[in-house]
Amino acid sequence: MTTATQFAKQQTEIFENRAPKSGAQLLLEAIEAQGVDLIFGYPGGAIMPVYDVLPRTSLTHILCRHEQGCGMAAIGYARATGKVGTALATSGPGATNLVTAIADAYLDSVPVVFITGQVPSDLMGTDAFQEVDIVGITMPIVKHSYIARDPADIPGMVAEAYFIAGEGRPGPVLIDLPKDVANAVTTERHRWRPYPKVKPEMGTSENISRAETLIRAAERPLFYIGGGIAQGDGVAELRELVERTEIPVVSTLKGLGSLPSDHPHYLGMLGMHGLKAANYAVQECDLLIVAGARFDDRATGKLDTFAPGAKVIHMDIDVAEIDKLRRADVFLDGSLKKNLSALDPFKDEPYEKAQIEPWRELCYSRRSMYEWDYDAPGNGVYAPKLLHDLSRRAPDSAIFTCDVGQHQMWVAQHCYFDDPKDHITSGGLGTMGFGLPAGLGAKLGAPDRTVITVSGDGSIMMNIQELQTLHRYGIPLKIVLLDNSALGMVRQWQEVFFEQNYSEVNLDDNPEFSKVAEAFRVESFVVRERSEVDAGIDRLLAADGPILMHVKIDTMENVWPLVPPGRSNADMMER
Amino acid sequence: MTELQRDKTFESSGVSGTLKVVLHDVSGTLLRTLGTIERRGYDYRDVHCTQRVDGDFDLLVRIEDIGGPRNLDILCKQLERLYNVVSAEKVGRRKRAERA
Repeated sequence: MTTATQFAKQQTEIFENRAPKSGAQLLLEAIEAQGVDLIFGYPGGAIMPVYDVLPRTSLTHILCRHEQGCGMAAIGYARATGKVGTALATSGPGATNLVTAIADAYLDSVPVVFITGQVPSDLMGTDAFQEVDIVGITMPIVKHSYIARDPADIPGMVAEAYFIAGEGRPGPVLIDLPKDVANAVTTERHRWRPYPKVKPEMGTSENISRAETLIRAAERPLFYIGGGIAQGDGVAELRELVERTEIPVVSTLKGLGSLPSDHPHYLGMLGMHGLKAANYAVQECDLLIVAGARFDDRATGKLDTFAPGAKVIHMDIDVAEIDKLRRADVFLDGSLKKNLSALDPFKDEPYEKAQIEPWRELCYSRRSMYEWDYDAPGNGVYAPKLLHDLSRRAPDSAIFTCDVGQHQMWVAQHCYFDDPKDHITSGGLGTMGFGLPAGLGAKLGAPDRTVITVSGDGSIMMNIQELQTLHRYGIPLKIVLLDNSALGMVRQWQEVFFEQNYSEVNLDDNPEFSKVAEAFRVESFVVRERSEVDAGIDRLLAADGPILMHVKIDTMENVWPLVPPGRSNADMMER
Repeated sequence: MTELQRDKTFESSGVSGTLKVVLHDVSGTLLRTLGTIERRGYDYRDVHCTQRVDGDFDLLVRIEDIGGPRNLDILCKQLERLYNVVSAEKVGRRKRAERA
């Protein structure tokens, strides 16, 4: 096959006699032309030509202290703003340090363009210093990727990369830029023609009509919503449809906030650590209306026991998700926003609410029956209660980012969200170390909003160097560090599933986190007792600059309920 | 290890067949396509790639299931998500292997 360069020259117009510019200049100008004003990056040998040009552009560059921090900050920025994020790194280890962030963006469908330097073209494939095949390494975890072979391709390549990252189901796109291409000066420009990927705008009218018929006939209908609601800009349409039909709703981790947590028709999160009312509703419904969710195993438990008696209407912009894990009786591909807007099951006949009233009463009585109990014995800090109080005292517009583990599930269970962009978590990949850099990226993207990162003592150590980024740029991120001196979720599983054979989960030799923060010149304080929590939250929320609240919690506290792996969601274990 | 932890043993569904994939002539597309087939749970047994008059490539791949989604239609949709893949479809009859 021919190379990308040959393809470009065959298929595109070539403009000559343009102003002579280097590949690096063309790259940064093309990024600016996409409306980008902020990028996260870390310089190094192969990407130096780009950094040489950078000061002469309008771009604000945030120097994180590790390339993984750059990538995750770009994800936090993208998720808080809805824009395409940008992360920049050098070749070799710089590029491989981005890999976890690229995978995270892929699994959570986040639009980010990752740009890596590469060794000069004539050294590629020779195992040169700081050479890795980053395009090959990341091929399974990108939406698309490029190697720039000719500087004249770069403007078109960059425009296409940002387009691909954001269109349809969003995702990461990688551009690998060899150093000689970055340095090469050209007077040519190649205009790229986007490949015409014909995608349906919305489900067919026949399928919409079939979906409406199923909804009208259902006696126990249920919405099962996911991250696609926010990414498809369908929040308003979902709320309108739910309020019109009064059908109960359960949400995945990524769908939280699509309905306000206190919405009268909302039952809560489903799945492994879902609410009992939500899981029971799924098991007993006769119609599952799936919107922007993908039957992830953490949500479904044992798949063949999931919603066993339900017909399925599946709406997703990614047609490859339809029938992938659960056969859909009706599928609506294309824009979720348009599909939700088009669904109007009771337009021709009055809504017979009595038909589903017993079901609604059952769902809502269970929601009341299984409300959280925040009474806990002793004087120690009870993390669920702290998070519940914190989220209700924080401004309504506050954004929560979190790491991965027990605290992540407590945030999902106990914090209040009224917009899906309020909750930024690593849902698909489950990346420890995500919370702090994602939080700083979110704060830079949404400077007028309060941003709170909830982390654990295991997770925060994975990217703790980003405290320095907070200090360097004065980013007023608020960090709540829930420290149980253990890798809590693993410890819980070892307790419950491995007969208390605790193996390598003890972190009682943790550093003094407040002193670590102090060394990074980030304000910090410690909360050890329940009686100190209120004052701690006051201080956290009142701080003008970056602040870390180090909270000591009980090592043996667990997350409940818990559906054991490989079991039905009906088999929830409790305290 | 408790009973809860025991993973169920993978049981091959025996799905096999031949896919016809049309690719744009762009570097990396062939690798991306074959990689997707393998990562989605199929082994490729036979690969033929020929250039068409319009410059695109016809890729014929005979595949066998090694634990994929057990539905070649889904695999075709996953291939069609790739940029520079024009179309992907099953050709010939899909057969189901006898189980012991």
